[in-house]
Amino acid sequence: MSEIGINDYFCSPKFVAMMSLIKHDIKIDESFYRLEEIRHLTDETFSLKLPKARFAFKAGQHISLGIHGDYQSREYSIYSGVNDKNLEVLVKEVEKGYFTPKLRKLKPGDLLEIHGPFGKFGMEPEAAKTGKFVFIASGTGVAPFRSMVRTYPEIDYTLIHGVRYVSESYDQHEYASDRYILCSSRDPKGTYHGRLTGYLKNRTFASETQFYLCGNSDMIFDALEILKEKGFERDQISCEVYF
Amino acid sequence: MKYHLITLGCQMNLSDSERVSAVLENMGYVRTENEEEANLLGILACSVRQKPIDKIYNKIAQWNKWKNKRNLITFVSGCVLPADKEKFLKTFDLIFPMSELAQFPEMIREYGVVTPAGLKPPKPVMPQNEHIADMWHIKPKYQSTYEAFVPIQNGCDKFCTFCAVPYTRGREVSRPSVEIIDEVRHLVEQGYKSITLLGQNVNSYGLDKNGEEINFTELLRQIGEYGKTSTEEFWVYFTSPNPQDMNRDVIEVIAAYSCLAKQIHLPLQSGDERVLIKMNRRYSMDKYRRIVGDIRELIPQATLFTDIIVGFSGEGETEFQHTVEAMNEFGYNMAYIAMYSPRPGAASYRWENEVSGDDKKDRLHRLTEVLKIYSRQYNETLVGRTFRVLVNGSDRKTGFSTGMTEGKLIVRLDQYDASLMGKIVDVKITSAADFSMSGELQEVFSIQSK
Repeated sequence: MSEIGINDYFCSPKFVAMMSLIKHDIKIDESFYRLEEIRHLTDETFSLKLPKARFAFKAGQHISLGIHGDYQSREYSIYSGVNDKNLEVLVKEVEKGYFTPKLRKLKPGDLLEIHGPFGKFGMEPEAAKTGKFVFIASGTGVAPFRSMVRTYPEIDYTLIHGVRYVSESYDQHEYASDRYILCSSRDPKGTYHGRLTGYLKNRTFASETQFYLCGNSDMIFDALEILKEKGFERDQISCEVYF
Repeated sequence: MKYHLITLGCQMNLSDSERVSAVLENMGYVRTENEEEANLLGILACSVRQKPIDKIYNKIAQWNKWKNKRNLITFVSGCVLPADKEKFLKTFDLIFPMSELAQFPEMIREYGVVTPAGLKPPKPVMPQNEHIADMWHIKPKYQSTYEAFVPIQNGCDKFCTFCAVPYTRGREVSRPSVEIIDEVRHLVEQGYKSITLLGQNVNSYGLDKNGEEINFTELLRQIGEYGKTSTEEFWVYFTSPNPQDMNRDVIEVIAAYSCLAKQIHLPLQSGDERVLIKMNRRYSMDKYRRIVGDIRELIPQATLFTDIIVGFSGEGETEFQHTVEAMNEFGYNMAYIAMYSPRPGAASYRWENEVSGDDKKDRLHRLTEVLKIYSRQYNETLVGRTFRVLVNGSDRKTGFSTGMTEGKLIVRLDQYDASLMGKIVDVKITSAADFSMSGELQEVFSIQSK
């Protein structure tokens, strides 16, 4: 600041500000993470692997992620488990979007700024041990559920995942085959050929089941209606809308 | 040296402006309402809707023209989106988050230098709130002698999809309860009659402290206990709460203490379940209904205010009708109805904004007509009854004094008396209109005590 005190006597405010920007290094603080790896899962979808999270979080929460030097940020569910050695997020590139194409072009070593964790989507650790859960996801909405499954290995869950094509069953191998229901709307090779709401209508669930829904709002609305018709209370259903 | 400060937006900005004024006046600046005679021109920004932001751009363009003719320093603070911050860096001399207010004198002394916040490249994410406590320690220059705002919490973690506040105010941080109660006590002892506890999520108070601070219910209870021991009469309000964190305990405490005002502001935003989900408002209509039921049961005399957004993404006519039904069901005394305005940074900014401007205006008008019906009906039930009214202004048309009831209903008195300003008086209601009533002055509490 003292260098600038000399300059401002001679320079216009805007010039001084510009000088300051040139002279000062950017401070790297604990919210910056260097990208370790990009995992390409499909042509459009990839995960970003960062060093271990420097903050405590609960499975189901999300973070805000920005690219160093860019003023925009986006929120992403944490894809990794609480004890995983990497912090990971799942990203789908939006065609002609501003942000996700930039994420896709990142290279290991690039700086990202992370803030969080945020949100209350998820269960308490004690509840995860004793409850019965059904996770309903469309597309990348599976992200928080992978975190939950990795965080609570003993959790009693069923994951109903709605996708267009079987190739979008991201990291399917991580789920027990009898617990993961892949509903593929355009591909007959899933567990169920059709929309997940079609599968949901024909399925019965124990009365004490807790439901977690994540993904696009149309799917969430329709699934909510189906579950309400089956007699489940709104309090038994938690939702996280992606778009 | 003179300063002129424009404050846009909510009561939180008003409260913050009192601290900005305190800092500047401690430096020797004198406030002026005439921008043309000020040396220091500032704006406390509001980013909730585009209109206030447009106002800022127009204002700074004008101020920068004045710089050709006289020395001026310009600054902006308050709620500033990252995208606007990038532009403001090029047009304002100083830009800083409110958490850096304690350093404002240093910034001005080094006139011409952007703040530490401005030296870094535009940050992609939310401002940190770790210095917010420094700002809270600044004793505000209260603008009124009888109405005050006390910030108890700053920031938001809710990420409602229509809102950019998490990006402008940062994470939820609760102010120490000891400081809050001290400030309330000090204000009451100074004769303040209306005290509003402020926070972007006021009823989430304490939740960020993981058990190391009392919660909102307990905070209200302790204020209520102080009220019982005080000889002064005063009303304590709070805004804005989120129904997500509202529960029966809060209503029970309000019922138990006379100083906790029987006026509840409970933002609904939409009466449609689907729209609420899309907004990421984490309560169902059933939950909202239960809260209103508790209010009607435990504090039946309370007035009910709300916020509504019309024209949000996904709100078709069917969904809007659900909001109309909700307005009819809950019978609000007042609703702040806004047309949806996409905000850069908010998640919904990237969604289709398919409701036309005309449809938004039409829905705003239709809801206002519903609101008028219930507001007037309620006001008419008060005719002939006597209420305590805090005198706080004068009516533009008649010149007579105006005031508000404990429930924040506007009353026009049958006379003008400057000595009544800031006093609580008894008024007999004589007639009712859509959003106000008229009344006859009955008694003045000249010693302003219970």
